[in-house]
Amino acid sequence: MAKLEPYSPTPAARAGRIVMTIMPFAIGLACVLLAFVPLGRIVGSALTPAFPLMAIYYWAIVKPEMFPPFAVFAVGLIFDLVSGGAIGLWAFVYVITYAVVISQRMLLVNAPFSAFWIGFLATAAFAGLLAWVIVSIIHGIFVPPGSVIRHMAVTVAVFPVFAMLFGRIQTRVLQGS
Amino acid sequence: MDPNRSALPFREFSHRISLVFMLTLAAALLLLGRAETYVFDRARQVVTDLAAPLLEVASRPVAATRRVIERTDEYAYVFDENERLRAENARLLAWKEEALKLQGKVARYEALLNVQVDPSIEYASGRVVSDSGGPFVETVLVNVGTEQGAKSGQAVIDTDGLVGRLVSTGPKASRVLLLTDLNSRVPVVIEPAHYKAVLAGDNTDWPKLEYLAAQSAISPGDRVVTSGDGGLIPPGLPVGLVIQTSSGDLRVQTFSDRGRLDFVRVLQYEFPSRVKRQDPPEVLKGPGESAELGAAAPAAPAAQAAARE
Repeated sequence: MAKLEPYSPTPAARAGRIVMTIMPFAIGLACVLLAFVPLGRIVGSALTPAFPLMAIYYWAIVKPEMFPPFAVFAVGLIFDLVSGGAIGLWAFVYVITYAVVISQRMLLVNAPFSAFWIGFLATAAFAGLLAWVIVSIIHGIFVPPGSVIRHMAVTVAVFPVFAMLFGRIQTRVLQGS
Repeated sequence: MDPNRSALPFREFSHRISLVFMLTLAAALLLLGRAETYVFDRARQVVTDLAAPLLEVASRPVAATRRVIERTDEYAYVFDENERLRAENARLLAWKEEALKLQGKVARYEALLNVQVDPSIEYASGRVVSDSGGPFVETVLVNVGTEQGAKSGQAVIDTDGLVGRLVSTGPKASRVLLLTDLNSRVPVVIEPAHYKAVLAGDNTDWPKLEYLAAQSAISPGDRVVTSGDGGLIPPGLPVGLVIQTSSGDLRVQTFSDRGRLDFVRVLQYEFPSRVKRQDPPEVLKGPGESAELGAAAPAAPAAQAAARE
């Protein structure tokens, strides 16, 4: 290790590194909160996109070492706790989705944005289907799929805006890492 | 040789191990969470209480933006709206006369029959600070908690009608299970024929009517109100209108609009068996009656009514 770091970092550099390490996770947490802000009320509907899924997909492709599995799990679990639904549902769905995205990472890592977006479409469809199957098993009935389809459609539709936002944050704040 | 190279496979390996571990943990939680143990409830309440103030701050600009949009809309249609309100006011004044007449009549009958007068219901007002946030759960958070007297099970209404009921409460925030949620069951009555049913949510926009007698003749447009059965929710709260879906099922269109929830009231209703008996209003007691003659009170209006016949 001495070879790698011939100088000892200054406190400021250390603080900067800590910020960089926790930044993606902090963004994930902010996305969880944002998912509960009643944004749909502005237009008089009750649709909110799956913001955490966007953060998980983005960082899994761009910098997976900054969004480790436990962070994905924590984001999913906090989402479950605030949403009041089945505990572990979104933690499970997000961790599996993360694993699938990581396995396909090489396809998407340097792909043009359209491919990145199509990849997200497939990811959202997968996550929505998985969640729907689990909830249907839990309740023992076929839960009407309309709301989850709308939910994921809105998520895919607003994804470019957030991908751009995450990209900005990445180039501005995390470039030093 | 690059000293980083030897670290890469190890990093990959540890990443994979932690992925498998988290996956197992999540699956275990999903299975254990079904048991609804105290630990999970507590964790949920703590996280909710922590999130509620943040959500309240975050929902302010949303409410403000919506108000601006609504204002703009109102300005655009101010003349039409004024016209409509005048017509409605004229109609409502006629209804007011009718209601006053009926109120007097009902009060007389209640005194005649010595009916137990419903206790007045206290309430705490609050704001809906969150959206459900998930496609499978229809719950919202309100900033009314045990500090304001909220208890699990209490009914929540807005200006349009019943919204749902509280399912968990913390010191500062509570969770409301909306009528449309898969787990929501509310005893209702369908007016005017007074058929009883249970309003059951199924995560669609229109809850179903369950346990409805087979021969009951209800039709689209009938009004649905709470029945008060079970003693949890006060009777007579407006719920919605019966509608018929394209497949022929009868469902209920709720009066409260889930997309526009803002200010709500949490009703602190106590089942009448647990509150002290209330006397009829003073005005109904005959002149010269005293408290000692309370037992004779019902007879006096009866005599008055008979005299009027």
